[in-house]
Amino acid sequence: MRMRTKIKKRNSLILLLGLLFFLSCGTGEHVRLRIEMPRKAPINLGDFEEITITSFLVKEEAKDFDLNKELTEYFAVEFGQKVKNKISSTEVSLQNEEVFQDKTFWQKVSPDKKGTLLFTGSLEYTEEVRKAIKSASKRRFEEPFPEESRIEERRFYSLSLHLYLIDAQSGDALYKRTFKESKAYKNPNQTAYFAFCDMMLNIRDKLFRQILGEEQIQERYLIK
Amino acid sequence: MREMNKKTILLLLLLSLFMLFTRCAPPLPKSQLHFGILAAQRDLWDEAIFRWKKAVQLEPDSSSAHNNLAVAYEKKGLWEESGKEYEVALELNPKNEYIQANYEKFKQRMEKGNEDEDKDKKKK
Repeated sequence: MRMRTKIKKRNSLILLLGLLFFLSCGTGEHVRLRIEMPRKAPINLGDFEEITITSFLVKEEAKDFDLNKELTEYFAVEFGQKVKNKISSTEVSLQNEEVFQDKTFWQKVSPDKKGTLLFTGSLEYTEEVRKAIKSASKRRFEEPFPEESRIEERRFYSLSLHLYLIDAQSGDALYKRTFKESKAYKNPNQTAYFAFCDMMLNIRDKLFRQILGEEQIQERYLIK
Repeated sequence: MREMNKKTILLLLLLSLFMLFTRCAPPLPKSQLHFGILAAQRDLWDEAIFRWKKAVQLEPDSSSAHNNLAVAYEKKGLWEESGKEYEVALELNPKNEYIQANYEKFKQRMEKGNEDEDKDKKKK
């Protein structure tokens, strides 16, 4: 009995020593961290007092709604919620894609206002109905009302949006980016307007994440 | 036999105490590094920067301190400082895979158009 307690004591002492060794030398040489890192914003919106949303160059009009009006209103609301700058809108006549490189054209848009950033761009919105034959699935057993092959319709929408942020004073394009989105719907009641709103949500998230330099989770190693 | 056991245990005890307080215990710059890591893990990045700056002062050739400082600067959005620190860390320790990985990710983020655009291209 006495012998047993002694063995137990000795074992616990050895365990304690092992622990001391472990603590004294530490383990591993790096620490992996998941950090919310800010992005480098391509443009400092704080340098501008006002953001003016201009008309867009619509390459292909939608049948059911006014794309230009929808887009300017949409961005006016979104910018108003996300940034502190004053938001306004103005109508300009855009003839072709080359106009975005024409500095003098943009300098004339708001010559009286200093510190204005112009938000503009062009877009293409297309709608197409695709049909396909859906073959009946093979069943192992006979059914009283067997499924027949039939033609199914899908509505495809695609939106290509080229956006520019232009310094009204110099006419320089400080930011430009193309967003391409497409959606397909089985439901015939999902209209072109519905698809447009759906796709604009994705574009909005990507756009603001970029221009505001919003945080994103990143993995980095710290070394001991 | 019993005497020998006692002696061995005593010897091991002395050895571990010696290691704890001398050889394996982190020297001053190391402890600053460690303290900085603890602060970063608690999201106290200003404190972490303060500690890692001290570590760099005490040991300018510490690639770990420069790397950690670069990460902290990146977190604070100080891109230029971060880039410089990563470069110093890589110069001091070019084969360190962790520094390389950090710097690669940093460079990717700094490139124009960054990640979203890349994702869009991949989707296409």
